[in-house]
Amino acid sequence: MSELQLSPTLRRILLEAVILCALAAAVGLSLNYQMVLNAFSGKTVARPKLADSPAEESSSETPVQPLLYPEPIELEELDALLAEGALLIDARNAIDYAKSHLQGARSLPLGELDAQLEDFLAEVAKDRPLIAYCNGFGCPDSFDVGIRLLQEGYQQVFVFEGGYPQWRDAGRPLEGEQ
Amino acid sequence: MNRLASIIYHGSRLILAGVFIYAGAIKGTDPVAFAGQVANYQILPYAWNYLVAAILPYLELLCGILLLLNKRIRPAVLVLFVLNLIFMLALSSLIVRGIDIDCGCFNPDAEARTTPLMALWRDAGLMLLLISTWMLRYRQHPPEAGDGQ
Repeated sequence: MSELQLSPTLRRILLEAVILCALAAAVGLSLNYQMVLNAFSGKTVARPKLADSPAEESSSETPVQPLLYPEPIELEELDALLAEGALLIDARNAIDYAKSHLQGARSLPLGELDAQLEDFLAEVAKDRPLIAYCNGFGCPDSFDVGIRLLQEGYQQVFVFEGGYPQWRDAGRPLEGEQ
Repeated sequence: MNRLASIIYHGSRLILAGVFIYAGAIKGTDPVAFAGQVANYQILPYAWNYLVAAILPYLELLCGILLLLNKRIRPAVLVLFVLNLIFMLALSSLIVRGIDIDCGCFNPDAEARTTPLMALWRDAGLMLLLISTWMLRYRQHPPEAGDGQ
């Protein structure tokens, strides 16, 4: 059996390339260990900032309330919740919603949350499970809307992180002008 | 190395350094958003997207800095070549599967969108620069003469 013969120089280049990767991994993991740890333990990773959230108010007189976060769910879990009567909440802007949205979704854009919340509270019961979504992973609007709905007293609020792109790419039904 | 080869070598090296330092730095500042971009490729399991997002920016940054400093050029180019090859395979898989997303190559929060096909062409250009940098460095320091890096 013939062995692959590498010149000493090439061996050194390969070794140094491996060392580079190890060094980058060490730096990256030491700076982001909490994010990676959360992801592998199934905890919520996205921690979007909410400008007027109570957690950001610092007052020595009023105790700071811990900020509640909606639970992120996958597409398969979403199906089970929809079967139980959950309501899909589209946190994208109204134009995108009008063009195309998940079948059965109700529009509640983050930018118009204050204006539309009163109607929403009147229409949707507090014990109904809610699933917020926006433009997929990395889009924080669904989390911000979810946090606000939890603050308003809704008991079961979830975020479908894959959002509109994952639903569309899975061939699920859409509604809208397009 | 003659003058023209020297200009091409240093030009390629500095362009690559700029591209990868920028890419690494901008993605490293928002790893959660970058993990979202990686997840949009729908290739890795959920948690692994975050692992990639934690490490990849620093690998790009480190290699970019070495290229800028003209140190350990061939190991850095080798790493970037393999990375670029993986990027191109991932982009090709998007095109084959008909998934039209932003490539997430640079700023994860950018308004401007780069389609998989555009990113593939750009990566092909980077591949040419990587190969020319490797070859010209190789001419400058052939194996039998020692590495000399």
